[in-house]
Amino acid sequence: MLVLDRDSRVALMALAACALLLLGLIALAGESPLRVLAILIGDGFLTRAGLADALVRSIPLTLTGLGVALSFRAGVFNIGVDGQLLIGAALAMACAPILGPLPSALALPLLLLAGTLGGAIWGGIAGILKARFGANEIIATIMLNYIAIQMVSWLIRGPLQEPMGIFPRSEKLTASLRLPILFDGTRLSAGLIVAALACVAVWFLVARSRYGYALTVTGKNADAARYGGIQPAVIAFSVLCLSGALAGLAGIVEVSGLHGRLQEGFAGGIGITAIAVALLARLSPLWVPVAAFGFAGLYVGSDAIARLTAVPFPLVHVIEGTIVLAFLVLQIMPKAKDL
Amino acid sequence: MDLMLLTGLLASGVRFAMPLLFAALGETVGQKSGVLNVGLEGIMLVGAFLAVAFSVATGSPWGGLLAATLGGAAMGLLHGFFAVRLKVDQIVSGLALILLGLGLSGFGYRLIFAGHQSIRVPGFERLDLGPLSDLPVLGPLLFSHHLLAYVGIFMAVGLWWILTRTGLGLTIRAVGENPKAADSVGIDVDKVRMRCAAFGGAMAGIGGAYLSTAQLAGFVEDMVAGRGFIAIACVVFARWNPLGVLAVALIFGIADAGQIRLQPFFPQIPYQFFIILPYVLALVALAGSAKSASLPAALAQPYRKA
Repeated sequence: MLVLDRDSRVALMALAACALLLLGLIALAGESPLRVLAILIGDGFLTRAGLADALVRSIPLTLTGLGVALSFRAGVFNIGVDGQLLIGAALAMACAPILGPLPSALALPLLLLAGTLGGAIWGGIAGILKARFGANEIIATIMLNYIAIQMVSWLIRGPLQEPMGIFPRSEKLTASLRLPILFDGTRLSAGLIVAALACVAVWFLVARSRYGYALTVTGKNADAARYGGIQPAVIAFSVLCLSGALAGLAGIVEVSGLHGRLQEGFAGGIGITAIAVALLARLSPLWVPVAAFGFAGLYVGSDAIARLTAVPFPLVHVIEGTIVLAFLVLQIMPKAKDL
Repeated sequence: MDLMLLTGLLASGVRFAMPLLFAALGETVGQKSGVLNVGLEGIMLVGAFLAVAFSVATGSPWGGLLAATLGGAAMGLLHGFFAVRLKVDQIVSGLALILLGLGLSGFGYRLIFAGHQSIRVPGFERLDLGPLSDLPVLGPLLFSHHLLAYVGIFMAVGLWWILTRTGLGLTIRAVGENPKAADSVGIDVDKVRMRCAAFGGAMAGIGGAYLSTAQLAGFVEDMVAGRGFIAIACVVFARWNPLGVLAVALIFGIADAGQIRLQPFFPQIPYQFFIILPYVLALVALAGSAKSASLPAALAQPYRKA
């Protein structure tokens, strides 16, 4: 018999209130919650097109979610995934003209590497600010987001703009620099394989390496880490670089696998969803793709809801917020071994 | 730069500073009591939206302000509930507020205003003190702001006085510095923190309301554009001193107003380099002021009775 303590009961009631709020919002828009839920699940997960779309969207969410999970494990809150993703994509696109003439087998990995490097640099700036100057990384990474958005806005109207010079966007990548499409008739690219490899690599790093151990110890107790010979400042800097690298990789994978060129807002809102993904996966690299797929389907379903019903799209953020609160509630639930 | 231009710059700097000032003052009180709320951005968004929606509904910006204040306080209480009552990670709870704020404000905006482009928002009027407001330089600088701006400046002074000179301030600081000692003299730590969290939320709501009904006239999705985070940077840079917060918010306001006014003078420099100035300033401020001894010792640490 499961007996919950008072805190847990109160927390569960709070969650129930959140669920009621969601139902209330849907009712406010004049729709039946059942119909909305049916569309969300049906179009998000159960149709072939929806499923393919959800897989497409889960690629950048997996890569960025892995980065967020790594940094959160170390108690470092990288909220600046969007900026790192943009700078990664931008640096790779700046390299694209040089890589274009090379054979694809060489050029494509180099392109992805350039994106990874760009993200790492942008994360590293926040890392230096934190490690060297003690600046709060939450604010630093957010400020760097806004700076990155403006930098890309300038690049696609300046140095990286397509030769025609009409639209604020870069030239399209040549075929040799595009990630191949996996299944005909879908937009699902080999980015899926990149994301899967990244999951394995990050899992190895977290679960099997000394560095992963140092990350976790630092996140749990920085003083204990220091006592054990781990320097929290070094961890903070390196994990922001790594986290940024994964975001930068996500950026160039989005461009090379999906859009083909750099344009404004091509990856808006991924950063904040990546946080929800990492938390829902409880910061575990192997659960990240599962959570990413869940959120991707949520987004695809929410698109369908906004198209087919009177419920506006931003409901998806309310759902995300509720999921994050649910994550917090789960944390204080009594563990099985305590019962 | 001539005097007219400078006066205009400083006067609009004051206007631009106000959303930051309100949010940062509330966060100062919250952090002084030990509650870190990184979700100001979300609360400001809700405040900005509620202010517009209820200004239109009631026909008065004060109705909007009231709604924004209450909505902000409710979100502050939600954060308090998780951070103080349930004692979970305050940063994660704050992140949830950002998502909720983004969602609720965007949802409400599209539901009510989608398709009605030309809604007139009854915004705050500038103060008109007759001859005083007509004074050269001093008039635009000191005597022709929105009434709310004077409230903000008054609150900065008032909160400084309360925090440093009154028993209530001592209680708040004790709870944030040494909750165990505060508890031992009979202070209900969680209750004080809950109230400070609600106050912080209400102030962020007012900051959002100022943005959408005084500085600008209308709501746009994601209009807060990082100001919630710059407000937190203000608190750190001002070393948790409300008078310092006023000064720092003014610096940011003037920087923001300045970047817009500088753009036409340097057409050869891409305008994006001007837009990033306040954000770069925030980074510099953070790097220059961290590791401060003024940091409340029990910030973001839940208190559990032994």
